[in-house]
Amino acid sequence: MNEYILARKKSRYFRELNTIVAVIAREVTVFFKSPAAIIMSLAMPVMMMFMIGGNMMGIAGGESLGPFMLVGMLVNMLFMVTCMGMSSLVDDHETDFNQEILVSPVSRYSLVIGKIFGASFGAIISMAGTIIVGLMMGITLPLCQLLLILALSPLMCFAGGAMSMILIGLIKSKKTANFAVMLITMPQMFLSGAIIPVNESNTVLLILSRLMPMTYCIDLTRAITGIEQPTFNPAVNFAAITALSFICLVIGTFFFARSETNR
Amino acid sequence: MTNNNVIEVNNLIKRYKGAKTLSVDNISFSVKKGEFFAFLGPNGAGKTTTISILTTTLGKTAGEVKIAGYDIDKEARQIRERVGIIFQKPSLDRQLTAEENIRFHACLYGMCGYRPSFKLMPKAYRDKITELAEIVGISNDALFKPVKKLSGGMQRKLEIVRSLIHTPEVLFLDEPTQGLDAVSRRGLWDYINSVRNQYETTIFLTTHYIDEAESTDKVCIINHGKIAANSSPDNLKKSLLKQELILDADDRNELVSELSALNLPFSINEHVIVPYTESPQAIIACLKTKLSVLKIHEPALEDAYVEFLSKTEVVKL
Repeated sequence: MNEYILARKKSRYFRELNTIVAVIAREVTVFFKSPAAIIMSLAMPVMMMFMIGGNMMGIAGGESLGPFMLVGMLVNMLFMVTCMGMSSLVDDHETDFNQEILVSPVSRYSLVIGKIFGASFGAIISMAGTIIVGLMMGITLPLCQLLLILALSPLMCFAGGAMSMILIGLIKSKKTANFAVMLITMPQMFLSGAIIPVNESNTVLLILSRLMPMTYCIDLTRAITGIEQPTFNPAVNFAAITALSFICLVIGTFFFARSETNR
Repeated sequence: MTNNNVIEVNNLIKRYKGAKTLSVDNISFSVKKGEFFAFLGPNGAGKTTTISILTTTLGKTAGEVKIAGYDIDKEARQIRERVGIIFQKPSLDRQLTAEENIRFHACLYGMCGYRPSFKLMPKAYRDKITELAEIVGISNDALFKPVKKLSGGMQRKLEIVRSLIHTPEVLFLDEPTQGLDAVSRRGLWDYINSVRNQYETTIFLTTHYIDEAESTDKVCIINHGKIAANSSPDNLKKSLLKQELILDADDRNELVSELSALNLPFSINEHVIVPYTESPQAIIACLKTKLSVLKIHEPALEDAYVEFLSKTEVVKL
């Protein structure tokens, strides 16, 4: 037998970072090998922006909602597609690939963080699709504003992915996972003000909206693009997104690791 | 690590959620460093449950487990670094190519930094993959095909390459040769033996091919979640089965009379069967009858295993 020794890297930080990169690369590779995933990423903006947005703009006074809605749709798309991408964790469970992942000597957080950023890739594609559909509908944003949104997109994808982990980490069937994605994304889309303003919501809905990371993502994005007067200071928004994402990540990762080993 | 034991299991218990019976019922055993250990038992005996607990992919209900001196409750990460496993069910990403699956594994085990293509990976990685693929019979063409396009046997070979890429201290093999052809099986065992000799790798094997356990150092039989036997294959065979001389003569009556006169136990079936414990030489030397048949029957481990299970009424023969 020949002596081909692969030296194990000593630095733990390097190994965790390498794990995150490897998991992201796997997700991106699989994305490009799945025509269905590519089609879905491009179909989502058409469905959401063209159909829902088109109807919204058709109502009285809706013509002025264009940029407001486009920003909302962009953030919503990042959240929704990242959540849908996270449901592939259930596929990994069904194909037993999770066994291979969970027996590896790396932090479960690195695996989940890698998965979230990997799932974000499809979300960024959907975001680009939303911008194109917006252009076709005559809704545009200045390039600098689009770049600002792009710069914030990893944070928003992370918030969406971490939030979805709370449910997806516990789910073992693809059917239930699809339902869970709807359960996570739909209330956020309507309560966060992504499509319609929610200033007049009742107390219960207002409290719910304040617990949703997407509310702060929408508010932060509209604030930095100057489309709307923000409800909160951008620093508060940023802190809220970070704190909620962190809490969701910790709980979701705990559920995920526990549900795989505690049978 | 005490007494050079690389695996120490004490009073291990596992009850699945909602189950009325224990899947693993208070078992204890140990495996020495470099030992080749076979864990045998019928379907549903608790083999895979035990392996899953030892490799940290399944939580235990009670008991103490140490792998390479590390406690499974407190030092799971250190254990994961030191073990390799071939799972009973394939655990590959079917959309990635064979090489992409191995590259992913190598990166997770910190063997090398991730690169977006095989050609960009370090030379040591490329050489190791090529060597392992050659040994188990994965062609260069198959290495770069999506896993979903590979046959079941080829997928199994791929899992074997993947489990060995980080040269583990303890290699858990949960029915590793299921679905492999005879040539690939032999190639795999040759390689595993060479890995074992070179790196003192401890092998923990479960298999339904009992002949694969013949060359092991120790055989442990689990049945209904309990350890039913734990010994070397030779001792197990000796304790359960008799070695036998198979004799016959043109004048069988003379042979039978002679055996009776010598007070030797025997039975007559197709031939005359004479069980022995020490050396068959002494029996043959005493016989004057001209023999037409002379055979020595050394029982195989499979005989002992089947005998054992039939005695404990696990299988209906």
